[in-house]
Amino acid sequence: MKNKTFVKNPIQVIGITLVVSLVLILLLLGTLKLEDRITKRMLDVSTFDVISIAQNNAKAINELLKDSNNYIEDISNKELLQQQIENNLRILITKNIEYAYVVYKDDKGTFRFLADASTSEDKALVNQKLDIDDSKWFEIYDTKKPIIINHTLLHQLSITYLVPILYDNEVELVLVIDFSIKKVEDVNKIIKLMKNGIFGIIVITFIFLIILIIQAIKYQSVKRTAYIDKLTNVHNRNYLQELEEFINLDDYILATLDIDHFKKVNDTYGHDIGDKILKEVAKTILQTIRKKDDIAIRYGGEEFIILAKVLRNDHLSALNVIERVFRSIQEKKFFINKKDFIDITVSIGVNLVPQKSKNFSEAFKFADISLYNAKNKGRNTIEIYNGKEEINNSLMSINDIKEAMDENRLICYYQAIVDNNTSEISHYEALLRIETKNGEIITPDKILPAIKGTFILRNITKVVLNICHKRLLEDDKIKINVNLNPQDIVNDSIINILKDYAATENIANRLGLEIVESEDIIICNNAKENLLMLKKLGYKLFIDDFGSGYSNFIYLAEIKTNYIKIDGAIIKRVLEDDVSFLLVKSIVAFAKESNIKVVAEYVSSKEIFEKIQSLGIEYSQGYYFYKPMPFEPSK
Amino acid sequence: MKIIILILSILSFAFSSQYTFLIKEYDKEIDLEAKIVAKIAKSSIKDEVRLFIPNISSMEKKVYSKYFTLGDSCKSSNFIFVKKADDSIKSCPKKDKLFFTNNYRKLLSDKKFYGAFFWNKSRPNIVFIRKRLDINHIKLPESYAQFVESFNEK
Repeated sequence: MKNKTFVKNPIQVIGITLVVSLVLILLLLGTLKLEDRITKRMLDVSTFDVISIAQNNAKAINELLKDSNNYIEDISNKELLQQQIENNLRILITKNIEYAYVVYKDDKGTFRFLADASTSEDKALVNQKLDIDDSKWFEIYDTKKPIIINHTLLHQLSITYLVPILYDNEVELVLVIDFSIKKVEDVNKIIKLMKNGIFGIIVITFIFLIILIIQAIKYQSVKRTAYIDKLTNVHNRNYLQELEEFINLDDYILATLDIDHFKKVNDTYGHDIGDKILKEVAKTILQTIRKKDDIAIRYGGEEFIILAKVLRNDHLSALNVIERVFRSIQEKKFFINKKDFIDITVSIGVNLVPQKSKNFSEAFKFADISLYNAKNKGRNTIEIYNGKEEINNSLMSINDIKEAMDENRLICYYQAIVDNNTSEISHYEALLRIETKNGEIITPDKILPAIKGTFILRNITKVVLNICHKRLLEDDKIKINVNLNPQDIVNDSIINILKDYAATENIANRLGLEIVESEDIIICNNAKENLLMLKKLGYKLFIDDFGSGYSNFIYLAEIKTNYIKIDGAIIKRVLEDDVSFLLVKSIVAFAKESNIKVVAEYVSSKEIFEKIQSLGIEYSQGYYFYKPMPFEPSK
Repeated sequence: MKIIILILSILSFAFSSQYTFLIKEYDKEIDLEAKIVAKIAKSSIKDEVRLFIPNISSMEKKVYSKYFTLGDSCKSSNFIFVKKADDSIKSCPKKDKLFFTNNYRKLLSDKKFYGAFFWNKSRPNIVFIRKRLDINHIKLPESYAQFVESFNEK
């Protein structure tokens, strides 16, 4: 399975947002630095000319005052001198230089005008006070050198340039020019816009980040409750759905675990004890697996999934985890009250090579098949699938089966059942087949493992019933048997279909229902009632594979089946194995006593046929007579 | 989430006065002027100041009302800030009133003004005339000393 790169976790989004915020902050700091550098550079370039002109102007004023012994008094009193100085100052006035004037500092430290280049209303009067806005003005009296004052606090980027006019090596007058630099202002506007923009984005990003953090916290808490099974405290199926898209199957081995005979526990001790057992099993699983590495999921009912992490390519350590779970449950005492306890065992199917599967569903399917095998081998065991089993290569996936159903590629083959006395065909057994797109015919052993326990199996039964029903309508002389699973017998929709069919005359008496006798059908409450009801409707009941597993003669007598079909595995050995022969003999004796007709399956040779005929078995089915084939009654 | 939106909304409303420029031009120069004039008026008059500005603009009214109780007329006010020439002032009795101007030349030429606040070379300037302060029995705090001019007036 490929690793997905899609950002699913909100924490990752928070991380990305934090990085974006950091980049924006750095950008803002960079812009501030850039602003300083541009301002400084522009000031250097722009003030160079102004400063040299102002210094020349100060020299010119000094020249005008060369005969004066008291600059302040002479300028104040001599109107002509004042005018000459002001004319001189007016040379400085340009687009950028707004004001040019000469001031002095009086005894109280107040600056007062002596000459002003401004005209009309703006022009200051001689000795008019000037309130200065920066204490730097006073520094000129110490340094005796020109000073530049930047008005950085003002929105307009303006500069005041002070040039000392000395008398007797003391600062007597100060030539002042106030000017602004248009270019700097323009650049500054752009930078300010950038600065505000970036700042705005940072603010929005931070708000977004806060919202994101809150949402992430909420998401995590909701996720926790949504993904944990309340009863068992392990992850639930929602979590699996979320996980299966992103899990890297290279990192895990996959095990499915099923509690053995759990239905019996529920039926015997009640659902409260059943729930308690589930909780205890889940607790044991959680205590046994490695907390940081392994994942336990309740898949449904009494089935759990364990994903054991493969560290450093060590599959055995991961398998050890599964074995420890198996042993821990096996050794644990499950108390049903304060004194009494029961032993619980589990069946486990392990897929050691999930990475070989296309996706999680397929990997799960192989683990589930192993679990199915473990159960078939008598439960309380671990079955391992390591990718070498031949069967798995040709197994159909659920999707393949669904597709075949949608495209009407579900078909039936029919195998004839022969009357041993007349050698005439008595019945046909309908057998499920799927025709692949390439025309290949797939048998049930490659179909059923994938859909065991799913609703698809019910749907397949419905399709088979429908095909057989049509066939019965087309030919009113033939009899067809259909295989039903124990779950089909308790399924309302299937029972309703059979009730509908029975409403038509001459259908139910020709449609045989073959049911595998299993523990499930014995346990299930409705099964017996439904079978009796179906029998009453006219259906013939066949107990399939009799003698293979849970053969229960009492149950057989209770439902009064019409036929029993002796398991092929017994018939196959009837010639060479005395036990098989005796078994068949006793089944036949019982059947005759109970007025039940017997069908022998797997009659593959003349010798077997003669043997079973000698035992008084009424019907035969097997390759000796007919192979399963598409319906061709004439053959 | 709701709490965050609520907090942001409260903060936004709390600082809404800062965004008035978005809908209406806001004159910061008038605001600074109003603050300075308010400080001067409150230092000059012990009672509650009732300001009257002849021919006041709507913007000035809006800004000054933040710092002053505005009077409807010169007669009903005790602090008159003359910014534009207005004949109604001439007929206004001077008793129990202080006249302030925004023009230095007007301050020098008209003795009813005891001080002025004006922009000189783009800098805010304040001038009081000592003799007129004395006539009006105004005692300003020590920090105002730098603004008081002692002209030779009769």
